[in-house]
Amino acid sequence: MEPTTISDDEFQKFREFFYRKTGILFEDSKRYFVDKRLLERMTLTASETFRSYFTMLRFQTSGEELQALINAMTVNETYFFREEYQFQCLVNSMLEEIVARRTTNTPIRIWSVPSSSGEEPYSIAIYLLEYWPHLSHWDVEIISSDIDTQILNQARRGLYSPRAIQHLPASLLKKYFHRDGEYYQIENDLRDAVEFTRVNVSDAADMRLHRQFDVIFCRNLLIYFDDLSRKQTAESFYDALNPGGFVCLGHSESMSRISSLFRVRKFPEAIVYQKPWGSR
Amino acid sequence: MALKKAAAQAITTDDERQRDRDLDGLVLALADADPLARRWAARDLVAYPAATAALIARLVVEPEPSVMEVILTTLTRIGDEQAVIGLVQCLRSEDAMLRNAAIEAMKLLPDEVAPMMGRLLADTDPDVRIFAVNVLESLRHPQVESWLLRVISDDAHINVCATAVDLLGEVGSEIAVPALLALKQRFTEEPYIQFAADLALKRIAAG
Repeated sequence: MEPTTISDDEFQKFREFFYRKTGILFEDSKRYFVDKRLLERMTLTASETFRSYFTMLRFQTSGEELQALINAMTVNETYFFREEYQFQCLVNSMLEEIVARRTTNTPIRIWSVPSSSGEEPYSIAIYLLEYWPHLSHWDVEIISSDIDTQILNQARRGLYSPRAIQHLPASLLKKYFHRDGEYYQIENDLRDAVEFTRVNVSDAADMRLHRQFDVIFCRNLLIYFDDLSRKQTAESFYDALNPGGFVCLGHSESMSRISSLFRVRKFPEAIVYQKPWGSR
Repeated sequence: MALKKAAAQAITTDDERQRDRDLDGLVLALADADPLARRWAARDLVAYPAATAALIARLVVEPEPSVMEVILTTLTRIGDEQAVIGLVQCLRSEDAMLRNAAIEAMKLLPDEVAPMMGRLLADTDPDVRIFAVNVLESLRHPQVESWLLRVISDDAHINVCATAVDLLGEVGSEIAVPALLALKQRFTEEPYIQFAADLALKRIAAG
């Protein structure tokens, strides 16, 4: 028999469990969204009751079902200026600290991973051009990586739907894009400013080629990983960063639950994670 | 100065590449003066399960937390019996950071830790028994509840029982009820046990 409802107690129990596992806390307003996906997963796994499903979720050694549920519960979409407060933090706080302590004029390096279809690295480029006055004094390199070569090609192409650009101010849309039928083509100068590379963040050999970054944006990726892979990736980020470098995670993610290597930094705009100055 | 395209070839340095990347070279690199070289050695040793003993030996003397963390991740990824035995040794360390890191690593190895859990829960040192219950907190294993029931039924140490009953409040089912009631009888003069057992019973009754 197919399960049809989730009780209030079951929702609470699930919500606490899911929060502990992923850092994602569903508000009461998300009840319909959560129930619908839970019931779908229960049907697909032939679980007749919430209790039997929850037991499997908690004790399944492989963690497969938890991963499938996480995938179902997360919305994989991106757009320009998503979680803009972190870009504000980049130009107002993180880069200011980095350049204040920089003793050489080597380029500042920013890594955006995963690149997805390019909205994040191009947003960073636009933000620097528009809002970071020190860009006239410093070279900045933006590298963006993804495991998916098709999505990398799409990112290099830089062609976007109206949905992807909906949060961009009209003035910036006009300045950095031109219309191509129903789509928006990002200008060549911006395309040329970002280097796209393929990387599997779980692969040490891939990660070794990505080094000496000052800021890493890795948002809404680690939530798809198991605990060990998250930890391993965090450790690789540590070695990919210069001392004093920052990691920015998605708003529902917390490095404190993954690794103790980084310092929590509370800037006015955002909480980010820093490789301590003076570390090696 | 401006946005500048990075060279396609990512920047590399050979500061961590001064020794052969075979087992012997990597084990030597574990003692390198540079923590970065030690981290890379520890990370690359994941390809060599025979390195477990060397990793454990380094772990107990390693002064740098970042290297310690990578060694523990590698031991977890190797995840064989020797690696788990090494992690169990860390539970006896006086270094709280190392102990906690070992507990976190063991939580990620349910199948490998399970055969040792009975012995850990019967260890003569109550601290080790408490740490074993801490491991159970996030261990994805179907026996978690029965291990906890054994603790609250058999263990004479109140702190071990208190740690176990806290966890039962989260993972316990109806089958835990008789053992929880018996625990209350065993520690009638201990208000915390009464409180924690009542809370567990209430949560189980609420489903």
